Amino acid sequence: MTDVTETPAPTRLRRILDSDLFYAFRTSPVALISALVTMFLILSAVFAPLIATTNPFDPASLNLMNGFTPPMEPNAFTGENFLLGTDDQGRDVFSTILYGMRISLFVGVTAVVFAMVLGIVLGLLAGYFGGWTDTIIMRAADVQLTFPSILVAMLIFGIAKGITPIEYRDQMAIWVLILAIGLSDWVQFARVVRGATMVEKGKDYVAAAHLIGRPSFAIMIRHILPNVLSPVLVIATISLALAIIAEATLSFLGIGAPPTQPSLGTLIRIGQQFLFSGEWWILFFPACTLLALALSVNLLGDWLRDALNPRLK
Amino acid sequence: MLSFMLRRVGQSILVLLVVGLVAFSMFRFVGDPIDNMLGQERTLEDIERLEQQLGLDRPFPVQYLRFLEGAIQGNFGVSYRQGREVSEILLERAPATLELAAVSAVLAILLGIALGVYTAIRRDGFVANFIMSTSLIGVSLPTFLIGILLIYLFSVELNWLPSFGRGEVVDLGGWTTGLLTASGLKSLILPSITLGLYQMTLIMRLVRSEMLEVLRQDYIRFARARGLADRTIHFRHALKNTLVPVVTIIGLQLGAIIAFAIITETVFQWPGMGLLFINAIQFVDIPVMAAYLMLISVMFVAINLIVDILYAFIDPRLRVAGK
Amino acid sequence: MHTYLCSAALVAVLAAPAFAADFKFAVTTDPQTMDPHAVNSAPVLGFLNNVYEGLVRRGKDMSIEPSLAASWEPIGNGEGWRFNLRRGVTFHDGAEFNADDVIFSYERASHEAADVRSWFAPVSSVVKVDDFTVDIMTSAPNPIFPDSIANWMMMDSGWAEANGAARPDKESGNYATLNANGTGTFRITAREPDLRTVLEPFGGWWDTAEHNITRAELTPIQNSATAMSALISGDVDFINPVPIQDITRLQQNPDVNVIQGVEARVIMLGFDQQAGAAESGQGASDLFLDARAREAVAKAVNVPAILQTIMRGNAAVASQLVSPAMRGFSEAVTPYAHDPEGARALIEEAGIAGSTVNFKCPNNRYLNDESVCQAVTSMLAQVGLEPVLNAMPVQNYWPELRADNFDMYLLGWSPGTLDAEHPIRFLGSTPNGEKKLGSWNFGGYSNARVDELLPRIQSEIDDGKRQKMLDEVATIISDEVAYVPMYVQPLVWGARSNIALTQRPDNFFILRWVTVN
Repeated sequence: MTDVTETPAPTRLRRILDSDLFYAFRTSPVALISALVTMFLILSAVFAPLIATTNPFDPASLNLMNGFTPPMEPNAFTGENFLLGTDDQGRDVFSTILYGMRISLFVGVTAVVFAMVLGIVLGLLAGYFGGWTDTIIMRAADVQLTFPSILVAMLIFGIAKGITPIEYRDQMAIWVLILAIGLSDWVQFARVVRGATMVEKGKDYVAAAHLIGRPSFAIMIRHILPNVLSPVLVIATISLALAIIAEATLSFLGIGAPPTQPSLGTLIRIGQQFLFSGEWWILFFPACTLLALALSVNLLGDWLRDALNPRLK
Repeated sequence: MLSFMLRRVGQSILVLLVVGLVAFSMFRFVGDPIDNMLGQERTLEDIERLEQQLGLDRPFPVQYLRFLEGAIQGNFGVSYRQGREVSEILLERAPATLELAAVSAVLAILLGIALGVYTAIRRDGFVANFIMSTSLIGVSLPTFLIGILLIYLFSVELNWLPSFGRGEVVDLGGWTTGLLTASGLKSLILPSITLGLYQMTLIMRLVRSEMLEVLRQDYIRFARARGLADRTIHFRHALKNTLVPVVTIIGLQLGAIIAFAIITETVFQWPGMGLLFINAIQFVDIPVMAAYLMLISVMFVAINLIVDILYAFIDPRLRVAGK
Repeated sequence: MHTYLCSAALVAVLAAPAFAADFKFAVTTDPQTMDPHAVNSAPVLGFLNNVYEGLVRRGKDMSIEPSLAASWEPIGNGEGWRFNLRRGVTFHDGAEFNADDVIFSYERASHEAADVRSWFAPVSSVVKVDDFTVDIMTSAPNPIFPDSIANWMMMDSGWAEANGAARPDKESGNYATLNANGTGTFRITAREPDLRTVLEPFGGWWDTAEHNITRAELTPIQNSATAMSALISGDVDFINPVPIQDITRLQQNPDVNVIQGVEARVIMLGFDQQAGAAESGQGASDLFLDARAREAVAKAVNVPAILQTIMRGNAAVASQLVSPAMRGFSEAVTPYAHDPEGARALIEEAGIAGSTVNFKCPNNRYLNDESVCQAVTSMLAQVGLEPVLNAMPVQNYWPELRADNFDMYLLGWSPGTLDAEHPIRFLGSTPNGEKKLGSWNFGGYSNARVDELLPRIQSEIDDGKRQKMLDEVATIISDEVAYVPMYVQPLVWGARSNIALTQRPDNFFILRWVTVN
């Protein structure tokens, strides 16, 4: 995906359009639909301020008396109308979902990029040098796996709380989430990259590169890394869906985005309190959005895995 | 070989020590136990007295060493909240979690393998594609929401299954089981589905891709050429060879199931260790939190260790690569 | 038709013996100990009121009535109180209750390790006159002393000593943490902390039983959605509390009753009023040293709107630190009126427009606490302040308040003595560690006149004079906007419709008033 958007050179674009991968993409309805849905959701999140009818993150703009307005029905006190209704604070659910999705996607993408970079670097180091480097990194991975991401998040949250001034705490919550989710995800990347590196390292071309005096760093980046990119891409896509879900789960446990600037997960946590009281829209619409987002990203990752696996052709 | 194993065991112990240290340093940020232990009419002296009594006023390394000293002797201290030995509480709670985890794992493995094989054999079939796509719904919603929706549908609306707890349990000499009573079995259904869904999807996808790969191998082609029935090929040859990596992953996932039980147990009020842990966080019951984390770490590290050593037996090359 | 009748009869037969008097109830927090002296918290004392008894007890209307003391009278000019004990009372294990047990329970409950010892601060000595008469001497006249010991529960000295539980031990626990031996209506037959506690009626109870329970089982359920599901599906017969937002839905359900009342707890906003707080606390400013700033908040907060939407019409506006149901409630003060224009004017006048307000809030302590704080945040933003809301679980909340890391905070206060004097002692007095005053006055509010009136209120025997002083304190606190009282938290219980029960404003669930029909 990133290749498609980031390559300006026409020759490379041509190459991509002619590739097997793109052909497989064009001919798979699942891939096409999920890509479309993903793009649609990402774009609406990015342009949320232009699409949304209100700014739900501005407390001064909220009118509590608008609270619990059902979708497409005028509020009993104020007479105002909302497409998808309002929540307990009188926030427009439609606008809040758009803004919330922005936060969810930002957290998800940043966390995955963070995990990917960390995992690739550590995996390359572990696989290439072996020995003590490998032992330390892989045992660190064990420690990491031992801690459920929930606990990692609490740890980081606590430490961060101790060192940030109050004015920045709300923004900090987001970065804590990113760090927590990213830290619990890097192991997968590292393991794949390490395994592939160990295989590649034994091959003749690496030995040859060594002989002609290329530095280890260059060998890793220029020769080994490109060989592990496709599994990394697959893991990254699936991790993105996982990260978005993880953010929601952490919100349920009360360590997610602040309620004044809710993510999709926080919206679901708030909405589930109203499951029995009949205000279904507060839960239903955010949950559907989350499902659509995670499902389409998952389907895309799934398709990518099959398409990139040469043995399945 | 022996030196490899010794080194691995040594590393595992180091891992446990680090886990303990990290876990322990975390507790200071979880909150302050004092306010939960003293009532509304406490005075500032009461707070200081209790802090002293619990050793919370001592420097952090001293607290950690005291904890380690006890832990080595199997003594995790006394729960701040319940006033009982932590090891006793954990033993009491373990059966609930282990039973739930075991049932979820069995469910996930059986369904996962069956669906994985099916979707691999009928790779491009409509039903297989449908299963592949819908199974993703299960991993595209957070576990807590799936649990709440299941309760809403099956307990509240349909009134078929109990909404919380373990039902009636039978005590078999210290091990309480819900597997022997009707209400116990009914109570297991919703939580085990909630907990096992994610692992099931994972196993199904793994079996499918491994199976697809095995089916392309030469010996399968030869088997086909020899005119063996599809059934025999799929189950006697292909599935058997698929299972080696699958079993490894399942082993690692067992630990994950127990860790993920935290959320399922919270939603279903399942009286296991995960719920105990969440309660402990809420009441800043440091001894319970520490013991739970150590227990989980020991489990993970042990599983990792066994897998590594098994690998070393199977594949001698890895022993060299480790150096 | 015939088959229908048959199956209906069958259902009745099946249902009758199984559910007749088996009662299952769920609460959010498990009582953390069975020791009536170790922990002073509502879940513990509320539950143990079914198992242990005090010299006096509270009736359905909260009035004090005789329990283990058949009668009592003041000694001389307020030197103390004489309690005449009830004869023929036995503990669950068969031991007889007498004056030695009262002396023992006094020593146990006033011991340093007991959480309830503050109840005995006014007591100078307890003297056994004979086997069934006890004098409790107070250092100053104490007109409300009998009211203050309704939760002081009697424990058998022989039982406690034989089991090594002569002193409460909250930290490492002892026999009394898991076992109980009271004189009350029910005895505990199984206790699994955090899982279930089983009660059965005590055959030798001295009073006549009003209930028809043969077995009661308590299960703690933390997740409110799970508790609601359990009640609706009939897995439990009673839950406390019912989430506010679910009241309407439950009321429409014919199988379930909602029991509503007004709790003793007043929810209020508090302010940091200490000079130099900006230096000591993290992120706090001297903003609310200025009474105009506090008044602006009082005017900016639209309490009726909060009650209308978030509390769904299930709470009452509060005018002072106690609810109207409490003894000593003052008619002299009225709630602050919602006046955003006035608030804006005050903010302009004080020159604090655009100031950051560090607003701390718990998110699992009071009913809908986080939602209320969010609403308050919007309301302050609308009058020109810049509130920064920080909502956190209660285990992080109190340490944060103790460390002075706030400008404004949310607090709920329920007076243990059900008297207006209680919040003055804890919230209105200048903090003073030595005299054990103002220990929950996080903002450091201080007024010399209030400090002067408090001891006089405590020892005044004449109700009229006492009320006058209480009125004066209520007026001072209201005029200086020491706190902004918002509303009295509602009590909402849910029960299956075949259950008859009595709800008391202190949120204690008393099993001896429950009948299963």
